[in-house]
Amino acid sequence: MACGSTSLWAGETSWFCCGNSWGPCGSAGGGACGNCQSSAHHGAWPNASANCFSITRPDLCGENIPRRGCGSVMNVRHQCSGATVCITITDCGPRTKDWCGEATCCNGACRTNRVLDLTPAAFSAIGNLSSGKLPVYIYE
Amino acid sequence: MNARNTTGVPAEGMRRRRFLTTAALGGATIVGASALGGLDADAAFAAEPSLDPAIAKSSFVEGRITGITGSVLEVAGSGGGHARVQMTHVTSVWKVRPATAEVIEVGDGLYARGVPMPDGTVAADAVWVNIVNLDTTIRGIARNRVHLAHGQHEVVGNILTDTGASYAGRGLTSDLSRLRIGQSAQVLGAWRPSDDSVDVVRISVGH
Repeated sequence: MACGSTSLWAGETSWFCCGNSWGPCGSAGGGACGNCQSSAHHGAWPNASANCFSITRPDLCGENIPRRGCGSVMNVRHQCSGATVCITITDCGPRTKDWCGEATCCNGACRTNRVLDLTPAAFSAIGNLSSGKLPVYIYE
Repeated sequence: MNARNTTGVPAEGMRRRRFLTTAALGGATIVGASALGGLDADAAFAAEPSLDPAIAKSSFVEGRITGITGSVLEVAGSGGGHARVQMTHVTSVWKVRPATAEVIEVGDGLYARGVPMPDGTVAADAVWVNIVNLDTTIRGIARNRVHLAHGQHEVVGNILTDTGASYAGRGLTSDLSRLRIGQSAQVLGAWRPSDDSVDVVRISVGH
């Protein structure tokens, strides 16, 4: 499945580790879909399933995020640089409810609420891991 | 605003691509790795684009460093396999904070972004050493450390002199007194292989 250009959502993205890894991430496992890998262009979506939604609860932040399950493909674009990465959803996350109202900005424009987590490979393709968060537009 | 040429492609991007092409084909011109914008650790937030959208196929390396030969890092991938990361004089290095290549040690974990070279190495644009970004719950707070639960595992977080905290999405502060046991906390930090603890660079709590 190819990455599309139809707008899906916008918000903050952070990054996480999964699959085989080192340090505290060594036991992260393959995520909700079982095949998540830090070294691949993968991501976690807050509504990957009903069970996932009940944990992440983006609705508590006013985000009525649509269901997109394991294997869904998204194009993630850095709000300001325009750098993009095509990812496959392989996990559930982030816990949007814990970060309601959190904003990440660039060029004076902000995106609010964590609506996506990326693997290190995917996040570093559009930004720097040391920043921790990025404002992004999401397409499918 | 970035200057654009008549084709609508950012002029800066054109320079980057030309630089990278030279690097990839010429082999020796590994300074081309800087074209990906890793020199500024926070460039992702900068007014100018930090990454050239045209460079969509940068290489990514993950794993533990098994050897350092001159300016080349030997890396054992966590899932098997082996990679060689070529450091350059413009490679951006992060280890707890922006650093130089001298701080990198055998046994460290890393994520690296760069440009594949003809000899099979990856010329590094940016190397993040031992960096972790953990979804945790605060289990205990002491003067110089926090005890964290990460999944089913306990992680000790070392508080540094410049550890910052973010509360409810607000800006960073050195005031850690508002951290509470039981809070969910995102911890950006650096793993210490020697004792399996984490140096906390930034701890963010929601509510």
